Amino acid sequence: MSVDIYWRIAMEGDAPALRLGDITRGGFGPYLPGALGPGLRGGAPDGYGPVDYMGEVARATERSGFVGGLMPSFPETDDPWAAAAALAGETTAYRFMIAFQPGFLHPVQAARMSASLQAATGGRVVYNIISGGGGPQQLWWGDKVAHDDRYARTSEFLDVLKGVWDGPFDHEGRFYRVESAALPPELRGQPFPEIFFSGSSPAAIAAAGRHADYYLSWLEPFDALAAKFALVREHSDTPPKFAVRVDVLARETEEEAWEEVRAGWARLGDAQRTPDASESVGWQRGRAFTAGAGDDFRDLEVQPNVWGGFNRLRPGPLFGLVGDYHQVAARLDELIDLGVDAFILAGVPHLEEAQRVGRHVLPLLKGKIA
Amino acid sequence: MTRLHVVAPTRAPGRAVLPDFVTDVRPRAVEPEHRAVGRAAELGGLDGVLVPFDPGGHDPLVLAAAVLRDTRHVQVAAEFHPAIATPVYAAKLSASLQRYTGGRLAWRLAVDLAPDVARAHGDFLDGPARYARADEFLTIAKGVWGERPYTFEGEHFQVLDGGFPGSRVPRPFPRVYLSGTSPEALALSAKHADAHLIGPDDDPGLVPDGVDAALRLRADVQDETALAEEIRRRAEAGIAEFFVEPAATPGTAYWLAQRVLPLLRKETEGVG
Repeated sequence: MSVDIYWRIAMEGDAPALRLGDITRGGFGPYLPGALGPGLRGGAPDGYGPVDYMGEVARATERSGFVGGLMPSFPETDDPWAAAAALAGETTAYRFMIAFQPGFLHPVQAARMSASLQAATGGRVVYNIISGGGGPQQLWWGDKVAHDDRYARTSEFLDVLKGVWDGPFDHEGRFYRVESAALPPELRGQPFPEIFFSGSSPAAIAAAGRHADYYLSWLEPFDALAAKFALVREHSDTPPKFAVRVDVLARETEEEAWEEVRAGWARLGDAQRTPDASESVGWQRGRAFTAGAGDDFRDLEVQPNVWGGFNRLRPGPLFGLVGDYHQVAARLDELIDLGVDAFILAGVPHLEEAQRVGRHVLPLLKGKIA
Repeated sequence: MTRLHVVAPTRAPGRAVLPDFVTDVRPRAVEPEHRAVGRAAELGGLDGVLVPFDPGGHDPLVLAAAVLRDTRHVQVAAEFHPAIATPVYAAKLSASLQRYTGGRLAWRLAVDLAPDVARAHGDFLDGPARYARADEFLTIAKGVWGERPYTFEGEHFQVLDGGFPGSRVPRPFPRVYLSGTSPEALALSAKHADAHLIGPDDDPGLVPDGVDAALRLRADVQDETALAEEIRRRAEAGIAEFFVEPAATPGTAYWLAQRVLPLLRKETEGVG
């Protein structure tokens, strides 16, 4: 059985190195020396923007051995639907994994946009369905539905979306109501996007059992991840496949890899070493795994090559792999052995690291031992 | 200055049936010719492209993003109704398109859909309440765009401590096009529109003060003199923008660019 390996795309802007941190490729911040997308030419903005760099990352990703890219969605990122629609015509095989929260879009609109993108890309849309971390971020988005209710809404949203896809469809539910909803004839009959479903809470796992093609988790210590997968299997009539989102910092030697982490750690102030809390259950789980760790960055290495401090060096999840090419490949093989069917890998900068991992790590993978 | 826009197609074109003996390797057309029309408008120096909401066609925001990515100068207006998304999300998606394209996205808000079309799209609101919802939609979208933190508690939508991060890339709020002749429609335009779209038989005097008048104009017959004459006459009556219907083919767009536009504008000499 083959394993689908995706590479993340930086919707929040990209840094030239993990150890440097400053976002100088695309992004939202002020202009910094050497910034691009947009950059300066003759002292004036050069007319390019974030999407121009993202297009380069997508093309590099596609050429480097990845099937596509996760386009994340947070308050401080650009929007994945906008990015996928803008870049649809610029790759030939790249799958656009669009992260979105069902509450923000009507399911009929999601169906129409998805089917239009399927037509534009020849069926290369993939969903990463998020139901939200809760708390201040949800209110930022204008969403007041409570945490556990959001999974009920996600379930209903996907029922309506699938119903419309195969329409005509009538529905009167708790969150949505439609009458004779259907896609236009020329948008019908296309493949329904694969669903990567995120969420670590019991409500999420129950909903994943119904809707997910892939249950997607952030990387955690491997035994915790195995237990989580077992829980999802337990709650599913037909167990989904499993996917893990993993940052990788792979170098020719282990020393080089850890030196990159050390240099990144050295630039942080004390406050940055202690990140903000979130209501997200996945986030709280991650924090618990590193609770009680010492002040040294190596204290966050919870098992060989599994480092829990990535969130301090860039926005996003805690855990990733640090090591030489063989070590990182061996850990990925262990994850495959543990039941992982798909990866979403990432590294900073996303362009050069996609090329590096594609050239030096992916060829070393051995796959399932059994 | 008179601004001339084409309407983009939203459905894949039918295609000619070739004789059996002619080798046919044409890919199946699964997309409208929106990109070719957009590039024609761009090359031809037209001012914009409107991608209408067509219940039987592709999604206007998806089509508009592709046209924007293909071009550098034209404005691209996407038509949608306020029940497709929360205003925060519609604004966020649009803010990215603005960051990607030099701020060339415009919004054409469809407020009064036919009841059966609305219900098929999950919208059961009718009557003047639709204008109240559109008001909230635009108020919140502009609010999160321009202020941080921004809070609004409405009847249909809400946001608490919202507001977008700053952006070094220019990100103007999309130019807003509204339409309608009811008192509610005109009041909404007075409050939120940059331009108000009217039909050929509507009185331009309806357009609220401070809002540009935009006209939907049919050009079924390719008579450039007649069209240019009508545009000139209407422009003198106060119309600032023209949307030429029906949906263009690349051929119509080039015709507008090379046959109609020169009659409206004095060409600068010595180009090239």
